[in-house]
Amino acid sequence: MTGARVLDTIRDRWYVAIPVAVAVGGVLIPLVYLLLRAFQADPATLWDLVVRGRTLRLLGNTVGLTVGVLVGTSVLALPLAWLTTRTALPGRRLLTLLGVLPLAVPGYVMAYALMATTGEYGTLAQTLGLVVPRLSGYVGAWMALSLSTFPYLFLNLRTAFLGLDSSLEESAQALGRGRWRVFVQVVLPQLRPAFLSGGLLVALHVLGDFGVVSLMRYDTFSYALYIQYAASYDRIYAACLALMLLVLTGAILLLEARLLKGLLFHRTESGAGRTAAQYRLGPWRWAGYAFAAGVAGLSVLLPAGTVGYWMADSTASGLPWASLGAALWDSVSASAPAAVLAALLALPVAYLGVRHPSNWTRVVERVAYLGYATPPLAFALALIVFSLGAVPFAYQTLGLLVMAYALHFMAEAVGPVRSALYQAPPHLEEAARSLGRSPLGAFVSVTFPLVRRGLLVSMAFVFLSAMKELPLTFLLAPIGFETLALNTWSYAEEAMFGQAAPYALTIMFVSALFVGVLLLRERATEHPASAERA
Amino acid sequence: MTRLFSLSLIATLVLSLLGCGGEQQDELVIYSGRSKALVDPLLEQYEGEVNVEVRYGSDAELLAALQEEGDQSPADVFWANTTGALGNAVNNDLLTELPDELMEQSARFAPTNQRWLPVTTRFRVLAYNSDTVRPEDLPDSVLDLPEHEEFEGRIGWTPAYSSFQDFVTALRVTEGEETARTWLTDMQALNPNSYSSNTPMIQALDAGEIDVGLTNHYYVLRLRYGDAKVDDEGSIDPEASVATHPFQEEDIGNLALVTGAGVLQTSDQSEAAREFLRFLMSDEAQSFAAETLNEYPLRPGAEVPEYMMPVDEALALSPDFDFERLQEMDPTLDLLRDVGAL
Repeated sequence: MTGARVLDTIRDRWYVAIPVAVAVGGVLIPLVYLLLRAFQADPATLWDLVVRGRTLRLLGNTVGLTVGVLVGTSVLALPLAWLTTRTALPGRRLLTLLGVLPLAVPGYVMAYALMATTGEYGTLAQTLGLVVPRLSGYVGAWMALSLSTFPYLFLNLRTAFLGLDSSLEESAQALGRGRWRVFVQVVLPQLRPAFLSGGLLVALHVLGDFGVVSLMRYDTFSYALYIQYAASYDRIYAACLALMLLVLTGAILLLEARLLKGLLFHRTESGAGRTAAQYRLGPWRWAGYAFAAGVAGLSVLLPAGTVGYWMADSTASGLPWASLGAALWDSVSASAPAAVLAALLALPVAYLGVRHPSNWTRVVERVAYLGYATPPLAFALALIVFSLGAVPFAYQTLGLLVMAYALHFMAEAVGPVRSALYQAPPHLEEAARSLGRSPLGAFVSVTFPLVRRGLLVSMAFVFLSAMKELPLTFLLAPIGFETLALNTWSYAEEAMFGQAAPYALTIMFVSALFVGVLLLRERATEHPASAERA
Repeated sequence: MTRLFSLSLIATLVLSLLGCGGEQQDELVIYSGRSKALVDPLLEQYEGEVNVEVRYGSDAELLAALQEEGDQSPADVFWANTTGALGNAVNNDLLTELPDELMEQSARFAPTNQRWLPVTTRFRVLAYNSDTVRPEDLPDSVLDLPEHEEFEGRIGWTPAYSSFQDFVTALRVTEGEETARTWLTDMQALNPNSYSSNTPMIQALDAGEIDVGLTNHYYVLRLRYGDAKVDDEGSIDPEASVATHPFQEEDIGNLALVTGAGVLQTSDQSEAAREFLRFLMSDEAQSFAAETLNEYPLRPGAEVPEYMMPVDEALALSPDFDFERLQEMDPTLDLLRDVGAL
C-alpha cells in the first residue's frame, strides 16, 4: 500500500482511525515513559538487581501461578457457561448473575475472606470444628485469584456459546457422533477464541495482581515490583522490573496470537443461523445446581458474608451515609463513562483485527493488552508526566482519570467484542454496502446490532474493574476525590474492618445492580430468532 | 441511538474536564502518606477553619508523584508516615526550611536541616499471642530472638515494610554491618513468615498462624482494644489475644519511629502550610494522635490514655540513635536482598 493510499484510507475511515490512534497512543505513552526512566539506571546496579537467583524464582512463581489459575478458572467457568446457555435449567439467569458477581469483589477482600475462614481460629474451625490449615502461599493465592477472575472466562465462553451456530453440531450428530464427542470435537474447538481472550485477561490479571499475592505471601513479579517502588522510593529500577514484566506479557501475547491465527467462525452458508436446542438435564440438574451453588458460595457468598460480619462487628455508631453517598458518586462518575469510552475504543481496534487481519492490525490489537499489563503505578506516573507536559489544564481532572481507566482497562473490552465480531458474518455488511450504504452506515445498521451483546459485556468488565481500581485513582483523581475502593482499602489496611465494610458492600451492591441491568438489556437485544430461549 | 450515546459521552467528558479543572487559588493542598482511615476525623475538624484538599496515597507513591510533577506540583504540604520518606524528600530538595519557632515545638527528634517537623512517634515491639506464649519466655533483647528455636516457622516479620527496614537500618548503624547480617541470617534460619504489612501479620498472630511478630506498638493496641478504647479506660476487656513485649531499656528492638510533615518548595501557600504544621502540634491534634491512633505525641507534656505505656517510660526504652541516619536505606536494602529476605 502506498503512502497516499494509506492517507486516503485514513481520511475515509476517520471513525476507525481516530479511536485506534487514541488507543495506541494512550497505551504507548507509559511504555515510552518506562523506557526513558529505565535508561537512567546505572547499568552495574541494574545488572546486580536483575541477574540473581531471586529473579528466576520470581519468574518461576509467576508463571506457575498463572498456569494454575488458568486451569482453575477453566474448571469453574466452562461448566457454568454451558449450564447457563445450553441447558433448560430453571434459574439460568440468576446463575449467570452469580457467575459475574465475583468481579465485584476486590481481590484483597477475597483474600481476607479466605484467610478469615480457614486456620485454627477461623470461622470453619469455630462453627463446624473443621480445622484446615490457614490459607497462604501458592494454594491461597491460586484459590483467591481463580475465584475472583473466573468470570472473565465465564462471560467470554458464554457469549461464544450463545453465538454458536448449532447446524454444525446437528450435522455431526446426524453423521453418528455421540453427544460427548460432538462437544469435544465440534463445540470445544469453536470456543477457542473465547478461551483465548478470556484466558488472556485472566493471565494478565494474575501477572499484575498485587493485592492477593501480597496478603497470601506469595512472591511474584508484580509483588517484587511494588516493593521496589515502596521500599526504596525508586522509580528507575522499578521501571526496569516493569519492563521485564511487559516482556513476559509480550511473550504471552505472541503465544495467544499464534494460537488464534487463521480462525474463522462465522457462518458462511446461506439461510438463517440456528440456535442450539437446549439439553434437558433431568435428575442431573441437581448436580448442575450443586456445582453452581458451590462456585457461588465460595466466590460470592463467602466474601459477602465476611464483609457482612465485619459490618456487624463494628459498633452501632451508625453508617457514614454522607461519606458513602459522596464516595458512591465519585466511583460511578468515573467508572461509568470509562466503561463506555473503553468499549468505544475497543470496537474499532477489534474490528480492524478481525475484518482486516494483517500483521499491522494484529500489532494494534496486541498493543491494547500492553496497557492492561503495564503496572498501574507506572501507568499513573507516566500520565502525570504526559498530562503536565502536554495538557496541564487536564491534570488531576475527572476527564484524565476516565481516560486513564479506559486506556488501562481497554483490553478487557477488546475480547468480548472480538468474539462477537468473529461470529458476525462479513458478507452481511458487504451486502449492505452493495445496496448503497456507506461503510459506516453498513457497519452501524448490520454489524453493530450483532456485536451489541459483546459491547455490553465489555462495558460490564470495565465498569467492575474501574469500581475496584486503586493505584490510578490514588495518583490521577481530582484532589479530594474519594471512591468507594479508596475508602475500603484505606480502612482495611489499618485493620479497621468495621469501617471498611459499608464501602466494600456498596461496591458489591452497585456492581451487582449494574450487571443485573446489563443482563436485562442483553435479554432485550437478543436477536429475534433466539427470543424463544430467553 | 449511537449518535445520541456518543454525543452525551463527549458532553460528559468535556464537562468533567471543565468542571474540575485547575486548583483554586486559596486552597491548601496536602499530600498525605498517613492513611485516610487514620487522619480523616482530624482533618475534618481543621477543614472547618481552612479550605483544605487532601490527596491520600502511600509515602512512596506520593514521593514518586511529587518528583514527576516537578515544579508544577499543586501540593503545599507533604505529611508522611516515615522519616525515610521525609529524608528522601529532603535529599531531592522538595522541602523548605522551617522557622525555629516551629521546630522548637518538637525538639526531641528534630532534624538538623530543619526541613521537616516531627509530629508523633511509634515504637517497635515484639507482639505475641497471649494464648500460646508466656511473656517471661520472651528474650530481653531483639538480638537474642534468633536463639529461640521453639519459634521456628512461628515468627512473623515484614521485610518489605518501611518500619521494619528502618529497624534494620538502625541495627546496622548501631551494632555494625556484620551483627546485622548475622542477625538476619539467623532469623532466616528460623524460617519466618514474611507479611506485606503489619495488619495481615497481626491478624495472623491473632489467628494462631504465628506465635510472635516484629511490629509497631499501635497495631497491637488497635487490634487488642478495638473500639473499646474510647470507653472507660480502667475496665477494658481485650478483644484479641495479642499483646506487646517491650525489650530491655535502650534495646534496638524498641526503636522509636517518627512521623512528620514538611512544607513543599512548590507551595504557593507556604504561610497556610506552616499554619497546618502548627495545628499538627496543637493540643487538639496531639491528643487525637494519642487517643485515637495510639501513637505517642511529641508535644512536651502531652498525655496518653491509661492503657498505653506512659510517654517518658516509652521514650526511655528506645535507644539513643541519630534518626537522620535512617535515610541510609540503600545498604539496608542490599543487605536484605543478600540474605534473601527481599
